[in-house]
Amino acid sequence: MIPAWLAPTILLAPLGFAVLALLAPRSRPGLAHAAGAAVMAACTALAVWLAVAVVPHGAAVQGAHVPWLDLGGFVLGLGTYVDPMGAIMTVIVCLLATFVLVYNAWYMHDDEQAARFPWQFCLFVFAMLTVVLADNLFMSFVGWELVGLGSYLLIGFWSHKPAVADDADYQRLKGAGARGILEDRLSPAHAQLKAFVMNRIGDAGFLVGIGALIAAGTLAGGVREPLTWGNIALIAQGGGLPGTFLGLTGADLLTLAALGIFCGAVGKSAQFPLHTWLPDAMQGPTTASSIIHAATMVAAGVFLVARCYPFFTPDALAVVGWIGGITCLLAASIACVQWDLKAVLAYSTVSQLGLMFTALGAGAAAGGQAAGISHLFTHALFKNLLFLCAGAVIHACAGSQDLHRMGGLARRMPITAIASGLAVLAIIGAPFFSGFFSKDAVLAAALMHAEEAGGAAWGPFLLACAGSLLTAAYMVRWWIRIFAGHERDHGICHHAHDPSWYASAVLIALMPFTIMFVWSGWLGHALGAPHGEAHAHAHHSAMMVASTLLLGGAGFAIVAFLLKPGLSEVLARTLRPLHVACAELWGIDRLWDLLFVRGVGAGLGRLAALLDLGSRDRLASLEGAAPFRLRDVLSLDGVIDGIGRACGGIGRAGALLHDGRIGLYLGVAAIVGAAVLLLGVLW
Amino acid sequence: MADLGPSSLSAYLAVASVLFASGVLAAATRRNAIGVLLGLELMLNAAALQFAAYGRFRAAGLDPQGQTAAVFIVVVAAAEAAMALALLFAVYRSSKDIDLEKTRELRS
Repeated sequence: MIPAWLAPTILLAPLGFAVLALLAPRSRPGLAHAAGAAVMAACTALAVWLAVAVVPHGAAVQGAHVPWLDLGGFVLGLGTYVDPMGAIMTVIVCLLATFVLVYNAWYMHDDEQAARFPWQFCLFVFAMLTVVLADNLFMSFVGWELVGLGSYLLIGFWSHKPAVADDADYQRLKGAGARGILEDRLSPAHAQLKAFVMNRIGDAGFLVGIGALIAAGTLAGGVREPLTWGNIALIAQGGGLPGTFLGLTGADLLTLAALGIFCGAVGKSAQFPLHTWLPDAMQGPTTASSIIHAATMVAAGVFLVARCYPFFTPDALAVVGWIGGITCLLAASIACVQWDLKAVLAYSTVSQLGLMFTALGAGAAAGGQAAGISHLFTHALFKNLLFLCAGAVIHACAGSQDLHRMGGLARRMPITAIASGLAVLAIIGAPFFSGFFSKDAVLAAALMHAEEAGGAAWGPFLLACAGSLLTAAYMVRWWIRIFAGHERDHGICHHAHDPSWYASAVLIALMPFTIMFVWSGWLGHALGAPHGEAHAHAHHSAMMVASTLLLGGAGFAIVAFLLKPGLSEVLARTLRPLHVACAELWGIDRLWDLLFVRGVGAGLGRLAALLDLGSRDRLASLEGAAPFRLRDVLSLDGVIDGIGRACGGIGRAGALLHDGRIGLYLGVAAIVGAAVLLLGVLW
Repeated sequence: MADLGPSSLSAYLAVASVLFASGVLAAATRRNAIGVLLGLELMLNAAALQFAAYGRFRAAGLDPQGQTAAVFIVVVAAAEAAMALALLFAVYRSSKDIDLEKTRELRS
């Protein structure tokens, strides 16, 4: 039996802490971090309790539910809902939040603004837990938007920094050969805005999806509360709902709803074509990146698609699979040529998220849902570890993020080297590591779906395979460039060392989660992965494919970057157009900049200027110089000024009636009297 | 065209209208308080003339009520003139002027 207070407590404790920490004085950042970590550790313990109670039974537990808005005919509610997937996600979110807060106490020990981090971070965690524990789509949406706010705050944590083109420190320490970045624009303040706006684009789709679901609910006979998970499943089961809404049948509405939700997920989980915000979000603190890339922000999209799986029709799933596959290969190709160590990790996150969506696109029958979610879980832990290691390396190298200048750091920082080595083995899917188990499941699901559906369904599988091959190559390159070989820049590396004891303890504590036996066996079972001969066959085939890709990619990286260092340059020269295209991020950032920032943005700016035509003249007219003109009336300023003028005019006209001019009184009286008389005569 | 001969009602009403309009114009536009007072008197007399004319030209023959009303108006006009002149005298005493544009203060 699960106490009713359990899930709400886990949900609200981070919010309570965030509010208290926001109000508390900022003089003791260490204390704030410790208190935050204690709260999150307590939440982790409660979440483990919840998971132990929920997961073995495999059934969802609906918590207390209160109606929130009664909109006449349909109701929006607040409540908690815990299924095995959500319970495990809650544990991971709380656990990683605890680790990151402890680690951040070291990471920001000489940052003057460090005291701001715990409350923003816990607000962010609360938002993610709202998405995970919500019992209806609308409450998820509220959490979803709060996640956007939290990421906005954290990415812009150092918002006082100038654009990187003007940042002397960044220019000195940046990755040589960094290309494709719009340096005159990129700054923490710009990155946070970019993340927010890109997510807005996706969220517009999310709202359309909610609307389509409500419409489907009316077709299903006016479900009173159409957005709870239980009712959504009921509506989706109806399949061929009777009647049409705006000319759309029930099946169309469900596809539209699914695509809308997926559009939101494309924004939040940084999928092509809205992925450009995530690499720019590297402008935030590395610890913020570590949680954004692992358990919160980007996980929300994958999680929500899995949650909304009941109404993802085959058409919608095909779109999910293709977008996932394209993103997987595209981001992996970019990651291969990045020289900024955080940028490699950022694109690898985008690529891995693409892998998860490839799995989700395979459909529940092929095991896609369980595979996508298990990869989300294993990825959350090893990607978090990778980012914390990256933070330690950046700290050790005096702020440099340039893979050109590192090397040989394994001797100076052994704990970090081992931790990141394990995480790299996990992400490339080496046998006996967590990524092997989940990536195999992903490829198996995609393969099985491709074999069943045939034709175009092979696309996502092949794209995911190509992405996996490149992942093995660029992640091994990443580790070799940092930790293996000789020291390339003694000036940067000579005082490198492992982080302080408690930050190192966090790295060590995360190591076991990269090992396979921690996950395998029970996770697939807990998530309800389908079993059968066909599935076993697909797993064997996928295992062969994955192992081949792993050996190919990792072997190439070891040869090209460790044994024969000249080879990579030769290759880059030979495949120059491809190399440039990858380094320029396939031009997507520039295209968005051209289309939206310069195109639509500048166009809207011009329109606004048009509406604001009178602004310069208005300043003059305030001084009584400019005459009143028609275009002033037509502009926005003119309208607002006109309202002011009209009020003044009415006041002045009214004042005339009692200012003592007897002649005027008589004149008005005569005119009014005559008018009344005339009207009387005419009628 | 209405008959404006000496024995028609229209002639009297036309004269009264001109008188009344002149009175309104004078009262509304004159700055001198005496002039305004004259305008008011003109309007009252225009009204009195109309009463008398209507009484004279009733279809049922001469009706003395018209003349009676005119006499009343003359009496009221005399009282009003006395009253108004007294007020003007008071205004003149306080502000040394009877120009209405200059004596706009409603409080002394």
